[in-house]
Amino acid sequence: MTKQHANWSPYDNNGGSCVAIAGADYCVIAADTRMSTGYNILTREYSKISQLAEKCVMASSGFQADVKALQKVLSARHLIYQHQHNKQMSCPAMAQLLSNTLYYKRFFPYYSFNVLGGLDNEGKGCVFTYDAVGSYERVGYSSQGSGSTLITPFLDNQLKSPSPLLYPPVDAVTPLAEAEAVELVKTVFASATERDIYTGDKVEIVILNASGIHREYMDLRKD
Amino acid sequence: MSIFEYNGSALVAMVGKNCFAIASDRRLGVQLQTIATDFQRISKIHDKLFIGLSGLATDAQTLYQRLVFRHKLYQLREERDMKPETFASLVSALLYEKRFGPYFCQPVIAGLGDEDKPFICTMDSIGAKELAKDFVVAGTASESLYGACESMFKPDMEPEELFETISQALLSSVDRDCLSGWGGHVYVVTPTEVKERILKGRMD
Amino acid sequence: MKLDTSGLESFSTLTAPGDGVVVEFSAPPSFQLPNSNDFDGFVKEAIQMVKPAKGTTTLAFIFKDGVIVAADSRASMGGYISSQSVKKIIEINPYMLGTMAGGAADCQFWHRNLGIKCRLHELANKRRISVTGASKLLANILYSYRGMGLSVGTMIAGWDETGPSLYYVDSEGGRLKGTRFSVGSGSPYAYGVLDNGYRYDLSVEEAVELGRRAIYHATFRDGASGGVVSVYHVGPEGWKKWTGDDVGDLHYQYYPVVPSTVEQEMAEATGA
Repeated sequence: MTKQHANWSPYDNNGGSCVAIAGADYCVIAADTRMSTGYNILTREYSKISQLAEKCVMASSGFQADVKALQKVLSARHLIYQHQHNKQMSCPAMAQLLSNTLYYKRFFPYYSFNVLGGLDNEGKGCVFTYDAVGSYERVGYSSQGSGSTLITPFLDNQLKSPSPLLYPPVDAVTPLAEAEAVELVKTVFASATERDIYTGDKVEIVILNASGIHREYMDLRKD
Repeated sequence: MSIFEYNGSALVAMVGKNCFAIASDRRLGVQLQTIATDFQRISKIHDKLFIGLSGLATDAQTLYQRLVFRHKLYQLREERDMKPETFASLVSALLYEKRFGPYFCQPVIAGLGDEDKPFICTMDSIGAKELAKDFVVAGTASESLYGACESMFKPDMEPEELFETISQALLSSVDRDCLSGWGGHVYVVTPTEVKERILKGRMD
Repeated sequence: MKLDTSGLESFSTLTAPGDGVVVEFSAPPSFQLPNSNDFDGFVKEAIQMVKPAKGTTTLAFIFKDGVIVAADSRASMGGYISSQSVKKIIEINPYMLGTMAGGAADCQFWHRNLGIKCRLHELANKRRISVTGASKLLANILYSYRGMGLSVGTMIAGWDETGPSLYYVDSEGGRLKGTRFSVGSGSPYAYGVLDNGYRYDLSVEEAVELGRRAIYHATFRDGASGGVVSVYHVGPEGWKKWTGDDVGDLHYQYYPVVPSTVEQEMAEATGA
């Protein structure tokens, strides 16, 4: 076995923020395009969003080398699934696959913080949020990454939806129209960029709905 | 865990049109254990000057007593109240005295100065002043507060709207922090009156 | 008939990393281990970096009409609340519940795993697994990973052929049978209320209320607990959720705000 350097770490943090909002018949997934290490910006145009299946998109911040590895594993698994079942994987199925994939690296984790957004079998928007070792939860909206502590309280304030755990149950659908959700995403990224040095340059917004998938971009501060 | 996070706190001050608001949470804890839910972090120095002290509660109280003492001496000698700018310098000087064994507090100062111009400022535990034109935050919920204030703040708000904004920002921020919350305490200060309100919040 | 003893086997699923992608798809899936001289130190450091969600109050107790299981719903990373809507009571099958305290991913994954094992047992033996058996299945798995940094504190509660049953299982390998448990950072507060109000002959309604009250008081005092208080009851017909109340509302239900006099009148500010 080769001797390791005393203070060498296999991990780095490349920063970045991800947000996803689920609506009644749409899902918005967004992430900024800055990639940094320490105080340096490596690139201003790096997409943190990857499409895993037809109706399933993942945004990931953290260590981009791990993220890339994770994306490759998932897309390979999805290819095998397609060959075996002759159909696209559903979003909830992909969500559990991601959870298991992360947990199988429990003792050598992928340093990645993911949100998975998409449409479920009924065409409803769904968002799944994860920690780095695979605990996951279906939610109405979520934010991950370096700016999440700045973004989440504001989303709570604007989208406060009744908890799915309430009994008797209360219907918990994000009350926004698609266009309003996109506007909200733009607002939170503009705000996060003001205070988080790892978020900025540009925000990439992916919108999934019955008519398919399309992308939007908005410039953010570059300082 | 940092000594600044021992008791838990959330503090925010905002500037409006010829007025300001300062707000805090009401929790006093020992790490994760909640001891009191009616704790005062904001104190009045005079009718148009307030100070909130986040961080370690024992140091906050000691520092507050020293500040009141110095302000009373000033009043006796000068026969007038201190201007917020002057008071900020006093706080900064008292903090820097303890440069190598600091008070573990981060103050937020808000007041109305000459011609009722609002003044807000914060500083670190050794007295480096940071003046702001819009809002300042401090405490364990500071990151959440930055996010909330950055999205909700608008310049030149009237007192009523300012109260609504600071309350919403405070409550949504402390709801994402384990160590602060359990209600809120808001002061809205205009040239003619001081409005004090207690906010109902989540008690968990 | 062959007896399924897989739960008693010592596990040897751990393999060192092979060459890249091949390992990822080889069935059955196995855990990749870091190629480090200091495994303990590495895992500890890595887990600290990714900060898994923690902090909880859960409780369960047996009384004359079955078992009550109750929990809060908060997950926190350090001082930051990462979620207020975690499902900490896991429905293993219609007659058995598990609770979640410690690392969220560890609990979720191994309960999911336990659910699969219980179903397989059912298919192999044509009858439901006992709570004793299920809890031992989990305890044996956790024991095989002892010292590797898993963090699980769980209660397995259910109704089987022997009636109501309750076990506490943790990642240190502990497995205790009992009638009253509380697990998590808020457990001292929950025990206070629970022990004070507990009687064996409680009615279901009283027992549900006791569970709810105990969790509520824990969320009030413990910074790392909060969100929604969920209470389940397991009887001979299986489990049923009885209540799910947001603590934000529940507090004012227990302690309504009495209209009080104004604490301080609006005062004319005196000029400087």
